[in-house]
Amino acid sequence: MGVKVTFVQADGVEKTFDDVATGQSLMEVGRFNNVEGIMGDCGGSCACATCHVYVTPEWQAAVGPADDIEVATLDMVSDLFKSNSRLCCQIQLREELNGIRVVVAPSL
Amino acid sequence: MEAGQVEAAQKTGKCPMGHGSASLAGVSMTDPQVMAAPGPFYQALRKDSPVHYDAKLNMWLVSRYDDIVTVLRDPLTYSDKHGYAAQYASGFFEEFKQILERDGGGFFPDVIKDDPPAHTRVRRLMDKAFTAHRVATLEPQITALVNKLIDQLVAKAGDGQVVDGVNDFAIPLTIAVICEQLGFGQLSADKVKAWSQAVTAQIGRMQNREQMLANAAQICDLQNFIIAEMRAREAQPREDMVSDLVHAQTEDGKLEFGEAVSLVRAMIIAGNDTTASAIGNLIYVLATQPEVAKTLQESVDDDRLLNRFVEELLRIEPPVRALAKMTTKEVELGGQKLPEHAHVMVLYASGNDDETQFECPRNFDLNRTNLGKHVAFGVGVHRCIGASLSRMEIKVVAREVVRRLGDIKLAIPVDQITYAPTVAVRTIERLPITFTRRG
Ligand code: HEM
Ligand code: FES
Repeated sequence: MGVKVTFVQADGVEKTFDDVATGQSLMEVGRFNNVEGIMGDCGGSCACATCHVYVTPEWQAAVGPADDIEVATLDMVSDLFKSNSRLCCQIQLREELNGIRVVVAPSL
Repeated sequence: MEAGQVEAAQKTGKCPMGHGSASLAGVSMTDPQVMAAPGPFYQALRKDSPVHYDAKLNMWLVSRYDDIVTVLRDPLTYSDKHGYAAQYASGFFEEFKQILERDGGGFFPDVIKDDPPAHTRVRRLMDKAFTAHRVATLEPQITALVNKLIDQLVAKAGDGQVVDGVNDFAIPLTIAVICEQLGFGQLSADKVKAWSQAVTAQIGRMQNREQMLANAAQICDLQNFIIAEMRAREAQPREDMVSDLVHAQTEDGKLEFGEAVSLVRAMIIAGNDTTASAIGNLIYVLATQPEVAKTLQESVDDDRLLNRFVEELLRIEPPVRALAKMTTKEVELGGQKLPEHAHVMVLYASGNDDETQFECPRNFDLNRTNLGKHVAFGVGVHRCIGASLSRMEIKVVAREVVRRLGDIKLAIPVDQITYAPTVAVRTIERLPITFTRRG
């Protein structure tokens, strides 16, 4: 059973994908479906910050916080950083995230 | 510099540290003066001729940040594969290829330099090798290696010998790290250095036939070494990266043997000159810019500041100055029409110095809010695989050097510092230093 995910692009356009397989990262969904602003240059190795999203408030608890290494990478784009910032390559899709909604951060 | 001063400098439109612009007339990127101090040349390019034809190189130099990102985000129009093939062993390609087929186990094109979708297929195998999280677990190992080399420096200096920050330290360190990762016993630094230079020369466009022959012999030696290591793991898998590649499955089946050879070769070469150059630059900066040395001393116990220090070092002194791509169709870039099959040289170093992106770009400023924007590791699908690993190496070196060595100074006049004669990587060749011992 897949999950539903929604990206709100920086231009306001919403992209929703129903029935996405769990076990992959949110970055992979965005990148392979051409969500604008989700580049995923480093392939999910937490090294580039080109998969930066803001997690909508109602999903923050379920998603959880960034770890130290992710925080360090986010610190390199501190002008775009907000308290709900996450690198979405570090968000693995699982059942509890069914319906998740994130806003794509502006490009670097 | 104080925040107030920076603001004041920006308001008057003046930065305390500028390059001063140069004239472009009759000048080539390959001119020795430009190679040694490229800043003014880059600045003139950005200002007067952002997509500039360099007649001597027969290449279009792309110098503005935005144009660089445009190129790197469009890998099908600005192809690595075609750029690489056209550049490779320039002028002697057939002969070079025959030598490798005869004496080096085969001619193996660099699959990592292919274009999507072929590139995507192999790149996925490599992406997980050096994730930031995996590299974090290597910190103790890397710290031990760094300290072993610092011990050797201290001993050598104690004997009254001149110590070379590049050849006695930066190069052996990066080689030791990558050998450990790939699973090789320790290789001699001279050997790896010779291999690296031979491979890098193939894309540097600056070799004559005699040099090509010598380089081809080195590359044969390198490939024969790799093939023997791979064969050993075919018979008996081990816990290392070479073994992973030998037994790797892509989504569409197995990685071919020749592809795996080219990937191992790329890992040996791509990570060494680059990371060693960064470490050489670090020591050079510490020896010549007291205010940066002071900044580092003040940051050394704060992981966040130390990470920022490394990133700003890579921005201000990027090891890779330029790499080539080739247009696959007619296209307009930065107001300039480029024909199909145009050679395009991406000037990463100029992108990092672009004053429209980085305020007062010649200031070493840990507080930049957009540090992650720099292009020292590239951008887009070919962005560096080894970014986290090299960041870690540089960070550990910065920390341990400051803890253990004081008062680092050049042992030769600054104008005697020379750079390796290649367009691709800006590498200090020799860096004699003196220092005092701290711990
Ligand atoms: C400070 C050190 C380093 C710098 C400045 C650097 C820089 C770069 C740059 C500029 C690119 C090319 C991006 C493009 O085509 O636009 C690149 C690609 C690459 N780097 Fe690094 N690199 C460094 C360290 C390393 C290390 C340690 C490794 C290996 C462990 C490595 C492996 C690679 C590979 C395999 C590629 C090709 C990736 C591809 O084309 O998909 N690099 N690097
Ligand atoms: S894809 Fe690079 S940090 Fe997420």
